[in-house]
Amino acid sequence: MQVGLEHYLVVSALLFSIGLLGVVMRRNLILIYMSLELMLNAANLALVAFSRFNDNLDGQLMVFFIITVAASEVAVGLALIVALFRRRQTTNVEDLATLKL
Amino acid sequence: MNISLCILEIAVVLVGVALLLLDLWTKPQRKHLLGYLGAAGLGLVLVGSFFVPVTDVPQTAFGGMFVHDHLALFFKQLFLLATIGVLILSVEFAPRIESGISEFYTLSVFALSGMMFAASANNFVMVFVSLEVVTITFYILTSFMKNRMQSLEAGVKYLILGALSSAFLVYGIALVYGISGSMAFSDIAAKSELTLESNIFKLGILFVLAGLGFKIAAFPYQIWTPDVYQGAPTPATAFLAIGSKATGFVLILRVLYSAVPELALSWEHLFMAMAALTILYGNLCALPQRNLKRLLGYSSIANAGYLMLGIAALSPSGSTAILYYLGGYLFTILTAFTVITLVSRSAGNEDISSLAGLNERSPFLAFALTLSMVSLAGIPPLAGFFGKFLLVRAVIEQASSYSAYYLLAGVAVVGVAISIYYYFGVIRAIYWSKETPDTSPITTSGPIRFTLLAGLVGMLYLGIMPDRVLKIAELAAASLQY
Repeated sequence: MQVGLEHYLVVSALLFSIGLLGVVMRRNLILIYMSLELMLNAANLALVAFSRFNDNLDGQLMVFFIITVAASEVAVGLALIVALFRRRQTTNVEDLATLKL
Repeated sequence: MNISLCILEIAVVLVGVALLLLDLWTKPQRKHLLGYLGAAGLGLVLVGSFFVPVTDVPQTAFGGMFVHDHLALFFKQLFLLATIGVLILSVEFAPRIESGISEFYTLSVFALSGMMFAASANNFVMVFVSLEVVTITFYILTSFMKNRMQSLEAGVKYLILGALSSAFLVYGIALVYGISGSMAFSDIAAKSELTLESNIFKLGILFVLAGLGFKIAAFPYQIWTPDVYQGAPTPATAFLAIGSKATGFVLILRVLYSAVPELALSWEHLFMAMAALTILYGNLCALPQRNLKRLLGYSSIANAGYLMLGIAALSPSGSTAILYYLGGYLFTILTAFTVITLVSRSAGNEDISSLAGLNERSPFLAFALTLSMVSLAGIPPLAGFFGKFLLVRAVIEQASSYSAYYLLAGVAVVGVAISIYYYFGVIRAIYWSKETPDTSPITTSGPIRFTLLAGLVGMLYLGIMPDRVLKIAELAAASLQY
């Protein structure tokens, strides 16, 4: 079987959907964060595949930027989650309810 | 390549680095004063920005990624003004931030550099990177009071929803790139006959708009706004309200008019629906609010809706109105948040009831907050009125070709009418509140009085003598092709 662009795109769309589902369904901040990373990597896969089949390198260049940005986002995000855990001893989103009308 | 085009950004980054270095040699008890130094540095950059030459033909740098035109310069000056105000406000707020106040200033300046690059974005890589510079610094600014649960909670909520919106943005960019084969706006626009056929391309642009819609807090991406506005430190909230929103709008304008002009023209229904729903949602939800910052959060959603009117009009006059409205919004919001910071210093919270007796405590602050509420409500002769007038006029102009625009203008007017109720609730609390728990006078420092005065003058000037700024806005909006 020849592996073509559509195969990559289907995998990428699946990864994106699984990530989105994880963000919506999960109640633990760390797992939500993992799902978000999955969504970013789905985009990376699509970009690399498009780059290969479009015969230009713009997409791969973008992937480098996404990896860098995702790394800094994780650094900030995990620091925030740790700060939250120190205050409340929990990483469950349902405990985040002090800001209400 | 012409690196001198991004001289303003380089200057701003240098100011940020200088603040970071000066922090090393400053005594802890004097560190909060670094904010004034940062504001002065940015003031110099702002003055310098008026001497930056601009040609009517856009100049580009970094292989076409960075564009320098009237629109970019307009937004850069807007962002610089906003950050100067926010820095002065942060000095006032400094005692309430336990540690790392100079990092707060530095991060604000770095966020500013991201906004300025966004104003010049001409390529999707640039859009993504500049937007993330802004967003990631805002995650930190929002949760800066790390010993206060509210601030942390706001930060986490902003983090999760912000990361979700950037995931959509990135996936959208991937799809757009896949179909058009390029990241550059001009190349994508040149392939319009290929891309107009493709549903995947349209989905990609929709995802990109979702990512940008989050930044401007437009319906249905507005969920985070009230919580984050309420929990974040007040200077960060003010910065979010002006800087982050204006960044979103400049990027939407650039993407729509530079990358997909034909597609944008066929999507007027989408923009009209978004504008109408955002206006109604923001204004209706603001009615029962008792917390000032939360109220301004909903008001910021409503204002995003008014600004969306200019996008929905899809015309040069619509874009001009957006620029003008953002200018007026800058002065109004800065004034409002400065007063809130001063009042909440003694009250400890931001409830509307804490405004009771403000008229006796400081007539000047009471007057400033009243004027900014009147401007937000859109009552003449202030900036908010003229901005809304321009936006509604741009929508009515389109109605001759498509009558649904009349409906949209009607929704906007209804929204304004609703908003008068809650803005005047604030004014009532200032002047006619029964209980006066605290009558101690509020002291204001020189720079704060300067900001407030600048805000008042700006609101009045933009409301009474609009000609000059309107010309600048028209010139800036003309940089976009229609």
